[in-house]
Amino acid sequence: MAGPETDAQFHFTGIRKYFNSYTLTGRMNCVLATRGGIALLLYFKLGSKKTPAVKAT
Amino acid sequence: MNENLFASFAAPSMMGLPIVVLIVMFPSILFPTPNRLINNRLISIQQWLIQLTSKQMLAIHNQKGRTWALMLMSLILFIGSTNLLGLLPHSFTPTTQLSMNLGMAIPLWAGTVITGFRYKTKASLAHFLPQGTPLPLIPMLVVIETISLFIQPMALAVRLTANITAGHLLIHLIGGATLALINISATTAFITFIILILLTILEFAVALIQAYVFTLLVSLYLHDNT
Repeated sequence: MAGPETDAQFHFTGIRKYFNSYTLTGRMNCVLATRGGIALLLYFKLGSKKTPAVKAT
Repeated sequence: MNENLFASFAAPSMMGLPIVVLIVMFPSILFPTPNRLINNRLISIQQWLIQLTSKQMLAIHNQKGRTWALMLMSLILFIGSTNLLGLLPHSFTPTTQLSMNLGMAIPLWAGTVITGFRYKTKASLAHFLPQGTPLPLIPMLVVIETISLFIQPMALAVRLTANITAGHLLIHLIGGATLALINISATTAFITFIILILLTILEFAVALIQAYVFTLLVSLYLHDNT
């Protein structure tokens, strides 16, 4: 399993430094970004369903 | 026949009072407490068995994981003894109840997950994405891994319930078939009786194996999170 001592062998630059599927940080950020995106999607979908009266006017 | 088939899985009561708590507590009195430095043969065998199981099961764990030793040993002893006692005729087996198995699986699984998030937050979150995943597959795999995480306690509970219930049902059915065939054909009844004997031996093995599998999986979830 990847650990802090093996993350040093990967040298990413730019956005890949923070979002990749090799380093521990990269994997964590990908997971958080995916879940955050799903949460935002559900929030806006459920938010638009709750206000049909406002849309009619 | 239909009513009798599932009657053994109903929660038992005596004079209107539920006695399932007594039945759940019963296996604990079968394990005497060692109270001397050199104990009698029964307690020595019990200690030897527990030592053998704990050494094998805790070998993969680090210091933090080994704090769960008492929990894991109690779990395997409880499930093993409950399953074996359930093989006695006309007895009630608590581990056939999904509610009971969920009551064991969910807190233990949640304990391992919360331990992992508390002490190794980064590694626990990174665990949801296998290393080396291609970029386009990342969102899908994160969702799949999250779903598989929440399925773990359900699978633990349902596996134990289904295995024990299915075994008891089979014994009930084949025993009934043997009795029904005695008057029709003695040879067929004898063959069915042999199958019943083999099935009972299998159920003894399944009772112990399911206890081991349940505990081993909890141990593996703990290993992933410590």
